[in-house]
Amino acid sequence: MTTALTALLTATLLAAPAAGRPAPARPAARTAPTLPAQVPGAMADTANGCLACHAAQRRAATEGVHAEHGVTCVSCHGGDPAAVTLPRGHSGHFVGKPDKAATAELCGSCHSDPDKMREYGLPTGQLAQFRSSKHGQLLFGQHNTDVPTCTDCHGTHVIYPPYDARSRVYPTNIPGTCASCHSDPKLMAKYHIRTDQFAQFRNSAHGVALFQNQNFAAPTCVGCHGAHSELPPTVTEIASVCGRCHVLVEQEFAKGPHGAAARAGKLPGCLACHSNHGTERVAADSISATCDRCHGSNSQVHQFAVDIQHRVVQATADIQSAERAIDQMAAAGQRVGYYRFRFRSGLTYFREIAQKQHRLNLDTLDDLARRVRSVSIDLDSRAKATQESRWEHRLLLLPVWFLSLSAVALALLALRGLRKTNRDSDSSGP
Amino acid sequence: MVPRDSKPAREWFARLWADLKASTDASLLAILRFVGLLYGPIDTRLPMGAAFRKALRHRLSPEAGWRQAFGGIAYLLFMILVVTGVLLSFYYRPSTQEAYQSIQHIVSGVSFGWLMRDLHVWAANLVVLAALLHMARVFFGAAYKPPRETNWIVGVLLLFSVFAFGATGYLLPWDQWSYWTVTEGLDILARAPIVGGWLVRVLRADPIVSGATLSRFFAIHVIVLPWLVLGLLALHFALVRKHGVAPRVSGTRTGGTGVPFFPHHFLRMVIAGTLVVAVAVTAALLFPRPVAAPANPAQPPGMLFSTWILADVSRALIYYLGGWGFGAFLLLGAGMVLLPIFDRSPARRLRRRPIVAALGVLFFLTFATAWGAGWRLRSVPTATSGELTPFQKQPTGATPGAPLPRIAPASRPATSGSDTTNPGGAP
Repeated sequence: MTTALTALLTATLLAAPAAGRPAPARPAARTAPTLPAQVPGAMADTANGCLACHAAQRRAATEGVHAEHGVTCVSCHGGDPAAVTLPRGHSGHFVGKPDKAATAELCGSCHSDPDKMREYGLPTGQLAQFRSSKHGQLLFGQHNTDVPTCTDCHGTHVIYPPYDARSRVYPTNIPGTCASCHSDPKLMAKYHIRTDQFAQFRNSAHGVALFQNQNFAAPTCVGCHGAHSELPPTVTEIASVCGRCHVLVEQEFAKGPHGAAARAGKLPGCLACHSNHGTERVAADSISATCDRCHGSNSQVHQFAVDIQHRVVQATADIQSAERAIDQMAAAGQRVGYYRFRFRSGLTYFREIAQKQHRLNLDTLDDLARRVRSVSIDLDSRAKATQESRWEHRLLLLPVWFLSLSAVALALLALRGLRKTNRDSDSSGP
Repeated sequence: MVPRDSKPAREWFARLWADLKASTDASLLAILRFVGLLYGPIDTRLPMGAAFRKALRHRLSPEAGWRQAFGGIAYLLFMILVVTGVLLSFYYRPSTQEAYQSIQHIVSGVSFGWLMRDLHVWAANLVVLAALLHMARVFFGAAYKPPRETNWIVGVLLLFSVFAFGATGYLLPWDQWSYWTVTEGLDILARAPIVGGWLVRVLRADPIVSGATLSRFFAIHVIVLPWLVLGLLALHFALVRKHGVAPRVSGTRTGGTGVPFFPHHFLRMVIAGTLVVAVAVTAALLFPRPVAAPANPAQPPGMLFSTWILADVSRALIYYLGGWGFGAFLLLGAGMVLLPIFDRSPARRLRRRPIVAALGVLFFLTFATAWGAGWRLRSVPTATSGELTPFQKQPTGATPGAPLPRIAPASRPATSGSDTTNPGGAP
């Protein structure tokens, strides 16, 4: 009975790893005849036998996403965790420490398998994407080991999922992870790559949104360059890359004259005005200066740029004054719910200006600026009416002081008269 | 229908009036006496009219004069607070859902509601001033010495009641300033030794200032304290009348039988009262208390400033002198309160009691200085608006290598402008 069960168990264990995990097959077969191995749970004890020597890696057995899902030492490194001697432990399908290319292949052996990843809902294209990336091309094509492989970004033994803040690929950690190589001047000098991207990114609109406001909708390095298929976008791709998030802006941009130029590769898309890693907002009062950078201040375009700037500056002033008007009314105790609603509609038009001006069409801008203006004038006039009624309250001071001063004067007169009669009666008294 | 011959009607009214006068107990005049419209003792054996005339003719002590005005002014301001408070309570609703809206309604919807509210706010400030000036007069004038030491203690209790009135009333508008000022005040109170924690638990009724706190503060403000103060006032006035006005520091003025209450003293009361009302109305008109953003327990406002004297004083003391300075000032105040109980020497001239004089001058000077300083302390920079960003440049403060700035999401109360601009500049 026991023998039959052992045989069955051995057969199952031998057959199962053939599908995916080759490593545990032999140790299982070897430990099968001993008593503990008949209990399936006992496999876990022997699975981490490597830690008897490799104590430094013991955290890998309990921490990280692989430990959670039963991926042990042998799953990647092979060997025999149940062995008590070194030669036997490092025998059989022993992988040891794989080089960078082998590491990528090793990870891919599971992570490219849709059958295995289905359980976790993970994509399986990472290895293929990595091969096509600059990093992958250098690694597999030129055996260049300066480039990172999977473990350089995701961690080696203790691997955390990207949504874990300890992971090196957690959104706020990604720029630092990339910068650990890309801000190294010695390393980057070989490839003639600049090293100021991280510094620029940190101060950019995206960097501020990510680091200061913890806005994870903001792109990190991988948002534009791809997570595993890292490559700088080509000139003609730029507008589409930015447009993945800034959809409406890209649509307007594409309709305008700059869009055509960008499609023809004559203009580096959005970067022409906003720069790449340092993504800058163009301030309202520096629009024409930005245009002049390419067009020059003597060109016909200059006047057009000045016109656009004028409208944007005006609309900014209008919307700010509308906001001030609401605050004034609120401070005076007015109910401003409706006015806030009105202000929101003005703000929507105002934001549409930010978007629509990429089309470089003055008529569209004029229309929107007029709408912002009308909201602003409406709210301003209401605030002014509130202020005026408050001012009118002060007119009450006139009767108040007139009456009280008269009363005081009369009372003082009466007092004086009384004192006089008192004195008279005192002096004339006995 | 007017009867053709009005004689019977006139006779009927004359008889009614005579019956009324005859049947009305002269002790009713005690009400007039209590509210300060009459001064002398009431002779209740006389008929109403005779008792009234006798009380009017009552001659005051020759010591009574302008020096005693501050007490009366404080009392008048208290009556203004009662009247405006009752009017406000017609419209105010003490719940977190409705308090703020009801204030908005009072200020912008109710006719002269804005005047009621600002008059209430300003009278609440002026009453502290008047009470302190009254206290200073009593202190330096040695009017607290036996047999008047009980009245000094009653007066001190009244002063604390006024403070409690202000502290509880401050929360009622349920806007950001009131919410966070009260939160701050309770946090300070919680650090008081022994009773602090317990007291704050009882007052706050919740781990944070909440609807339970609002209900409690409202009940204390409109039910508990008014009755308490009314009782204390009755005692205060009764004792004043029992012991009479304190003699002058320079010695009792001899000779003279004093002046009759009416019209001499009454005219002085009219003058002081009219001016006080005019000043309070003027302050309310020129420096209305702005309505800040609605209370938001999740978000402290960018700037916090109080519209109440005591908050100004304590903020300035804590800001410039630290917690120890504040504690020392409280000790000084406690000394001021307790000293008259131990100071029983008959000396009245300030030169004869230098310690008392120094203590008093130090207390009142510190109070006045701290008030002025606290009033100026309001210019704390406010959080910038996070709303209008499309064309604004982002701040570029962060430098690579430096630790990442961890800034909370742009803090912006619903009406940030009311934090930056203080249209009235009311203290």
